Amino acid sequence: MSAPLLITFDKVWKSYGEGEARVHALAGVDLAIRRSEFVAIMGPSGSGKSTAMNIIGCLDTPSAGIYSFMGVDAGRLDRNRRALLRNLYVGFVFQGYNLLPRTTAAENVELPLIYRGVSARERRELAMQALAQVGLVGREHHTPAELSGGQQQRVAIARAIVTRPTLLVADEPTGNLDTARTHEIMELLTRLNAELGLTIVMVTHEADVAAYAERTIRFLDGHVAADTANAEAA
Amino acid sequence: MIWETVRLSLISIRKNVLRSFLTLLGIVIGVAAVIAMLTIGSGTTEKVKADISKLGSNLLVVRAGRPAGPGGPGGLDQVTRPLAEKDVTALVAHLSGARAIAPASQKQVRVIFGTESLTSGVTGTDSAYLDARDWKLVSGRPFSDSETRAGAGVCLIGETVRQQFFGAGDPEGEIIRVNRTSCRIIGLLEPKGYTGFGQDQDNVVLMPLAAYQRRIAGNRDIDNIYIAADDRTPTTELQPRAEDILRDTRRITPDRDPDFSIRDMTQIADAMASATTTMTGMLGAVAGVSLLVGGIGIMNIMLVSVTERTREIGIRLAIGAHEKHILIQFLVEATVLSLLGGIIGILIGLALAGLASATLTIPFAPSPAVILLAVGFSALIGMVFGFFPALRGARLDPIDALRHE
Repeated sequence: MSAPLLITFDKVWKSYGEGEARVHALAGVDLAIRRSEFVAIMGPSGSGKSTAMNIIGCLDTPSAGIYSFMGVDAGRLDRNRRALLRNLYVGFVFQGYNLLPRTTAAENVELPLIYRGVSARERRELAMQALAQVGLVGREHHTPAELSGGQQQRVAIARAIVTRPTLLVADEPTGNLDTARTHEIMELLTRLNAELGLTIVMVTHEADVAAYAERTIRFLDGHVAADTANAEAA
Repeated sequence: MIWETVRLSLISIRKNVLRSFLTLLGIVIGVAAVIAMLTIGSGTTEKVKADISKLGSNLLVVRAGRPAGPGGPGGLDQVTRPLAEKDVTALVAHLSGARAIAPASQKQVRVIFGTESLTSGVTGTDSAYLDARDWKLVSGRPFSDSETRAGAGVCLIGETVRQQFFGAGDPEGEIIRVNRTSCRIIGLLEPKGYTGFGQDQDNVVLMPLAAYQRRIAGNRDIDNIYIAADDRTPTTELQPRAEDILRDTRRITPDRDPDFSIRDMTQIADAMASATTTMTGMLGAVAGVSLLVGGIGIMNIMLVSVTERTREIGIRLAIGAHEKHILIQFLVEATVLSLLGGIIGILIGLALAGLASATLTIPFAPSPAVILLAVGFSALIGMVFGFFPALRGARLDPIDALRHE
């Protein structure tokens, strides 16, 4: 009945510094996320949620323990292999959108495909499809400066899904948006999760944003403090 | 992928026009200097070669006096036996492989026509002189044999003399005064221009040797004998033969140094050309040092660019760029930047060289090899000096880079 595991943390530690000054951002975290789940990660600053997200997104590696992504021991891979993993299976959405300035929406969306070696024509085609999926038809040639915050975040989401990733990692995707825009973006993410079966791991501060997810994981002091299924909103 | 990167780097150069331009200045100046130096240098070399070949190709010049050389004094600082008629006759009779042999004596003399006067190089010679020096007549005729023998009062004039006295008019048949004698103009010499030493080769009056000796020099001496080799005989072969004949007529035994010298104009041309080339190379190398300075400028600005775009690098790494993608991006940017500087430098260098050749009246001789080399070299500078900053960008940690403001 339940989907196969996509992500597992097996006693994952992440420590910084040496000796007395040693700090544990993650202190033996066990965690499992299945395919097509929509998970919200919450917790105060310094709780380890960002570190966990970086490891989940294959940007970072654990100091100890095993992080396995799609059955691969991703924590042991070198940076170029992790880059390949990210390019093939992970999409990123950031709080500050992180679009390239003075570059059109379409070109921003094409960017991950360039690193895949996709031909220019196919890139353009896939970028148009992705922009259509996030409801931005007609804005392909606008630069980020010409788009509203909500539209910029849609471009960022289009860029994240253009490679048809398995996992979408979202770091406070609505942190810079007003309530109406927040609602729109969350609707979009929920739709992508439902329609594409896209696994979404989202870090957020806000409970009402987290409520869009199926499951909420709370971090506190480097541990998982609570892991609860959300009541179905619909 | 590579075009994408080139386009990207052009965009980033355009974004910072002033900064890019200042960065490029070092490369521009360096390349411009090298190109100008080498182009002017090769023009000078060509000019020197052309000048010497204007004296006549494959030409030997015999002079009285010992050749300058190790152990012996120079040829001009001692009283020596001049060349004489019999030396010429002996060469004409016995030297094989010569196309033309002509005696010549010359002196700077005031030449007068009407109220105008001009100090001109007056040369006494015979009709073989024109052949030996590859000099043609624009109009008129050379001296006849009988005029040569008799030392008739006839002369050929150069272009400068014609302009001074006759403007656009026809000089033929006019009588000019040369020193205290007078002669009738029978022909006009083809213009030859200036030598590399700034001497006007067209400010000349040629007259039969006998007339010159009797009426101007007042002696029977011959200053030079010009020997032009025929097409099959190299001057290096002709020179020892001529020396043997002259030793014979001048009675100089093989164990003694000759009291005359035979100069090979081809060798002199080669020597001068190679000296110019060496000089050019050295100046070019000095100019090349500024390319190094330009390269350091590129490195500096690329480091700034990598720092400024840390966040962009972070985004690119996060969405799956390899280290090598980032490396290539900044390497291409540095190369495009420096190549752009190189191309601007080449254009400026060529313009400078063009200006210089117009002023110095040397041929404008841009060398495609040198231009290609400059293009390649400026690209190389971009790659070499861009490598370290690019590597720094590529090695950034994506998490830190994304956090960078």
